[in-house]
Amino acid sequence: MLEARLEQADLLKKVVDAIKDLVQDCNFDCNDSGLALQAMDNSHVALVSMMLKAESFSPYRCDRNIALGVNLTSLTKVLRAAQNEDILTLKAEDAPDVLNLVFESSGNDRLSEYDLKLMDIDQEHLGIPDTEYAATISMPSTEFRRICVDLMALSESVSIEASKDGVKFSCTGDIGNGAVTLRSHNNVENPELNVDIELSEPVALTFSLKYLVNFCKASGLSKSVKLCLSNEVPLLVEYGLDGGSYLRFYLAPKIGDDE
Amino acid sequence: MGIKQLFSIIKEEAPDAFKEGEIKNQFGRKVAIDASMSIYSFLIAVRSGGEMLTNEEGETTSHLMGMFYRTLRIVDNGIKPVYVFDGAPPKLKSGELAKRFQRKAEATEGLEEAKETGTAEDIEKFSRRTVRVTREHNVECQRLLKLMGIPYIIAPTEAEAQCAALARAGKVYAAASEDMDTLCFDSPVLLRHLTFSEQRKEPIQEIFLEKVLDGLNMDRKQFVDLCILLGCDYLDPIPKVGPHTALKLIREHGTLENFVAAVAAGKAKFVIPEDWPFADARELFFNPDVRDADHSDCEFKWGAPDMDGLIQFLVTEKGFSEDRVKAGAARLTKNLKSSQQARLEGFFKPIPKTDEEVKGLKRKNDEKIEKARKKAKEEKKEKAKAKAKPRGTA
Repeated sequence: MLEARLEQADLLKKVVDAIKDLVQDCNFDCNDSGLALQAMDNSHVALVSMMLKAESFSPYRCDRNIALGVNLTSLTKVLRAAQNEDILTLKAEDAPDVLNLVFESSGNDRLSEYDLKLMDIDQEHLGIPDTEYAATISMPSTEFRRICVDLMALSESVSIEASKDGVKFSCTGDIGNGAVTLRSHNNVENPELNVDIELSEPVALTFSLKYLVNFCKASGLSKSVKLCLSNEVPLLVEYGLDGGSYLRFYLAPKIGDDE
Repeated sequence: MGIKQLFSIIKEEAPDAFKEGEIKNQFGRKVAIDASMSIYSFLIAVRSGGEMLTNEEGETTSHLMGMFYRTLRIVDNGIKPVYVFDGAPPKLKSGELAKRFQRKAEATEGLEEAKETGTAEDIEKFSRRTVRVTREHNVECQRLLKLMGIPYIIAPTEAEAQCAALARAGKVYAAASEDMDTLCFDSPVLLRHLTFSEQRKEPIQEIFLEKVLDGLNMDRKQFVDLCILLGCDYLDPIPKVGPHTALKLIREHGTLENFVAAVAAGKAKFVIPEDWPFADARELFFNPDVRDADHSDCEFKWGAPDMDGLIQFLVTEKGFSEDRVKAGAARLTKNLKSSQQARLEGFFKPIPKTDEEVKGLKRKNDEKIEKARKKAKEEKKEKAKAKAKPRGTA
């Protein structure tokens, strides 16, 4: 039996919104430590890894491991019926056919209840090795989104170069080229605007902007975003959430031809 | 062509052994394509008003049209194709080939007759049956591929076998053919419908040999035996053996040797054709004559297209539209230049399923198969009932 109560429905709304264009159907794996989701997009270029820890809920109860196979488009439809400030409770039996969602409005005594049909999904899980990344960049999530959207106007792909001078996002397209460079920056008054670059060796990699712009839909979840890069491994884009929960995206790089 | 009914068996017995998806999901992969089969399908499918496309001199251009545009579509989707042409057919195939020749001859006669007496539909039907891939078609396609910068190889014998060998050695991700034979040649992955036209909106089928064997609960030898029973290109089929019977027979007897012995002993009532060298056919599937994947012929390079050469060949000689050929060549160049998107599987490996999960999955699959069977049975019953009712009483 699963019972998980979220103080604010908008956390789940935003998470599902951020990933529903990448993934259509996926399993929410529930166990006593929390709600986890791992799924690749259709073309196996990007991977979403979400963890909503038990601490993010109050209360959280899950006696047995359950996989909730959900169609995200359908879940979005149901979640649309919830207001951002509603209290949201997820409930499911041990071998569930449906996921029960309850929205309680805090202001008045309105209570809405929905059952979402579940499906059997045979999913492949990928093992993600622990990586010591050569470069870790934290920046405001709005800044990252702006860079991606701006460069997307020129080209399909962006090259990200991190060196001791800073991090440079550059692209070349048919109409011309563009580049944005950020340096480490410490804003005492407003630490949310900090740009922080940790570097053990210089890195340069190219990625598809289409995917990055898609990841940026998660910007509303967290004020800052963390990019982790190492040469020849996928990029990690992490949005940290309260209580140790997170929403992570992995993206395979574009590579020059091996021949 | 190929193995009769094999796909329907796979669909029933091992439903998780194949996936269907869009062509663009295959990007970044190298694929070996059975060229001879593709050319044949172009000659049949690329037509206008039921007639093959020709240039002003009346030379057929259907195959070139198909090869050029379908290859462009494949390359546009980030796939790197290698074409594999048939070499000399194995001796065992001569029976099948003679039959095909006979059918062609009949069809040619039929066509003549239809032209005099038949309707337009009849003419078209027979004209499609008379299609043959000639040496000239092959040579022209090879010339076209060279100009497009797409690599190709001529197999010592069967193209499917060569495709499978390349895929097995990891030179390419998969073999692409419509022919289910390719699985018997031990190709780990088979792609179907890759060279189909965009308009047909057929999803690309991806069939995984390992999962097929798992689902059928057979080793490779039994699988090949099953395919021989179903009827391959090399041997005559056994009368009264359809997909269900073939499956049952292999499950019962284990190997073709046992089956043949059982028939000889009168325990199984089937009539095996007099000349039925199943061991030779099996040998062909297990040890086909192919180029080793590390042979120098199998070093594939994707190069820039030769724009002038393409215009000379396609526009001047074959009467293609110059603008379209130029646009196509530009697309080839662009795709070659742009850096390739990598796939996540190259970095993160799938976690193998635990035994418990595998069991659970197997159970679920069995349930699904059982359900589908029941449903089919009931539908049949319904139909029988509907038929049994005399007309007009409803």
